Amino acid sequence: MSSYATARNTAGARFKALVGLALAASVSSAFAGPVTDAMILNDQNTPNDVLTVGMGTTGQRFSSSTQINSDTVVDLVPAWSFSFGGEKQRGQETQALVHNGKIFITGSYSRLWALDQKTGAKLWSYEHRLPEGIVPCCDVVNRGAALYDNLVIFGTLDAKLVALNADTGKVVWTETIDDFKGGYSYTAAPLIVKGKLITGVSGGEFGVVGRVEARDAKTGKMVWSRPTVEGHMGYLNGKENGISGKTNATWPGDLWKTGGAATWLGCTYGADTNQIYCGTGNPAPWNAFTRPGDNLYSTSTVAINADTGKIEWSYQGTPNDHWDFDGVNEFISFDYKKDGKTVKAGAKADRNGFFYVLNRENGKLLSASPFVTKQTWASGVDLKTGRPVESNNRPGDPQKAEKGSSVFAAPSFLGGKNWMPMAYSGQTGLFYVPANEWGMDIWNEPITYKKGAAYLGAGFTIKPLYDDYIGALRAVDPATGKIVWEYKNPAPLWGGVMTTAGNLVFTGTPEGFLKAFDAKTGKELWKFQTGSGVVGQPTTWEMDGEQYVGVASGWGGAVPLWGGEVAKKVKDISQGGSFWVFKLHKSGKATVAQQ
Amino acid sequence: MSKLPLIVVLSISLPVFAAELPADPLNSPAWSTIAGRYFKGQPVVFDARVKVTAPASAEDPLDVPVQISAEGLADVQEMLVVADLNPIQKILSYEPLHAAPSLAFRFKVEQSTPIRAAARTRDGVWHLGGVWLSAAGGGCTTPSYGSADPVWQTRLNEVRGRLWPADGRGTQRLRLRVIHPMDTGLANGIPAFYIDRIVLSDAKGLTLARLNTFEPISENPVLSFDLNGSGAVRVVGGDIQGNQFSAEITP
Repeated sequence: MSSYATARNTAGARFKALVGLALAASVSSAFAGPVTDAMILNDQNTPNDVLTVGMGTTGQRFSSSTQINSDTVVDLVPAWSFSFGGEKQRGQETQALVHNGKIFITGSYSRLWALDQKTGAKLWSYEHRLPEGIVPCCDVVNRGAALYDNLVIFGTLDAKLVALNADTGKVVWTETIDDFKGGYSYTAAPLIVKGKLITGVSGGEFGVVGRVEARDAKTGKMVWSRPTVEGHMGYLNGKENGISGKTNATWPGDLWKTGGAATWLGCTYGADTNQIYCGTGNPAPWNAFTRPGDNLYSTSTVAINADTGKIEWSYQGTPNDHWDFDGVNEFISFDYKKDGKTVKAGAKADRNGFFYVLNRENGKLLSASPFVTKQTWASGVDLKTGRPVESNNRPGDPQKAEKGSSVFAAPSFLGGKNWMPMAYSGQTGLFYVPANEWGMDIWNEPITYKKGAAYLGAGFTIKPLYDDYIGALRAVDPATGKIVWEYKNPAPLWGGVMTTAGNLVFTGTPEGFLKAFDAKTGKELWKFQTGSGVVGQPTTWEMDGEQYVGVASGWGGAVPLWGGEVAKKVKDISQGGSFWVFKLHKSGKATVAQQ
Repeated sequence: MSKLPLIVVLSISLPVFAAELPADPLNSPAWSTIAGRYFKGQPVVFDARVKVTAPASAEDPLDVPVQISAEGLADVQEMLVVADLNPIQKILSYEPLHAAPSLAFRFKVEQSTPIRAAARTRDGVWHLGGVWLSAAGGGCTTPSYGSADPVWQTRLNEVRGRLWPADGRGTQRLRLRVIHPMDTGLANGIPAFYIDRIVLSDAKGLTLARLNTFEPISENPVLSFDLNGSGAVRVVGGDIQGNQFSAEITP
């Protein structure tokens, strides 16, 4: 409509343009300005903003802020709360981003809001118009946005990427990842690496082809694409860039064409190695008898060169996966000292129950230790070959029958740890892993691929292992693989973890609490009831000399949809959809005096 | 920085044409609101040359056909169509750069309302015409058919068009149909999602007309334009969620 104003009154329009410029100048001098690559790489060290989901590209979810600490956390009280509104109250698995006086938060059903950082007032919202035919496997969640330049970028359940102007919420560009009718969707938070928007795909239950893509973050134009199923061609700047792996080396016949390995949880980045680390999901279909071989690069971590889009190394946790040990779990870079030398490592707590530590430069396995109490499928991992030592726990081949023989396996397919990200504190040297203790009965069924239809070939039902708890927040020492402390929770844990230099670990529970623990001892120090289950990712920032903690509340995710007996246990949890912000209590008098 | 307050003061104290607001021949309860919202500080006249043709009563409140025309006026720069008593009043604005000042479209109506067309001539005067439309209600807050009919989910922004050759007045008629749900955002649980811009140009790249559409336009919009000249017309447009379309319509 501005074109009409210009046509109508050129002089007036010029005045307005001048005012606009003057205002823009005053805004950019008062705030931090557009988000740059340097700011993103330094995110972990700048407590005044949160520019990345994962609180830094390595995904450590560690904050250097200390105002809220193991002594003061008892005084943590709500500052404000924002309701996502509408009737769309489903799982809220998101993490907030904080920049330029605004908080950006995504919600279920592909929605995004910009809130005033001081007051929590809504500045603008974007609600994506979703078609009816979307097929997200595991609830209509979104796990957060990315910031770059003056853009807020997020993905939608109909497999699109939308870049919005951070000030106005207007669409700057939109791109389609793939056809949602073919089973594709998108729920992860995108990652920014060197001006590129790094995304994966969701849809591993529908025989999609997993891949990682890099687009120009400012325009959405594709730079490179790297399939995570062996046999598929990669591309760089529109030209062929080599096949991933070697066709048919680890896949029989044509099955690699619908091979799954969805990169549905996104990636992390190690600036010192220039490698993008992406977890890959289960091979498709679940019935492993259809696809003898290791089925690369399913259930793996792949390290992709950020510039060339080529795989530099990969490590596979569950070769020829038969249990949906969908190994998308985040790979977090960290350094530790061994025999006086610094080891450039990375760690991953896999769905299959092993906590892996790898050399992040070459993918070599350094250690693999169980972080759950029961693993029926393997007795350990051979450190020489990097392969699991299997214990004859695969369900039977159905052949022509309707159903093959069933086995009991642990962990269950929802994993020793699912999507919810762990945290690493360089201060304590510990990883904080949100684990779950459950097993399953699983059996195979014959299956053929049909576009857009579930592609499993398996039946299953989940069972808790213990009467008193399923969830367990565990502090894991990566140097020894030992569990230093644990907190047991009745319902399965499904929210992200954050740790701070204030000797704290935060995470949420389906029972509705955001909780804080002593990072060294695991003692529960604080909790707050948010009104619905917390499956979001807590984060923290500082503003005007005060430290804030924010978390989304809203029960949902895969547990109520896939959890078998467990779903029954959690069916009475209230739905919700809100964002809670906390800070340390100050008396009213103190607040007035400060103003 | 010290100049900033001064500039702000200047921009809001620009002289306004404080014309007396003429009485509304349609006697609409919302006239002063509409005038304040869309024509504030600008000269307004009611002018019989600006015509709105619509059925006396809306058979289908989701799909009311309307034609506007200011054929008797010279030098029309912009046309604006509003429905006084709709929850979202503004239906469209149109710049007939190289086109006749006329347009046909379909829109959603919530209750009986005046429909007004306003044409701004080069001298800055808005010329207004309008009619009352009688309607049983429901249009703008009812989900569009699009939410029940999945056609947009597979054919979003598909454009169909037809050109009729130039008539005695030297214009050719273009009729467009675009597949789009045109959701208003007022129906519970369905976000606003509508085409907001269409630009028409000729084979040489000359822009013939610019149209901005808003929430009240009916789903799968059907639009008719009278464009100067002859030959193929290029259509480029987009919606508020960044989806774009383009098509070439040949005679």
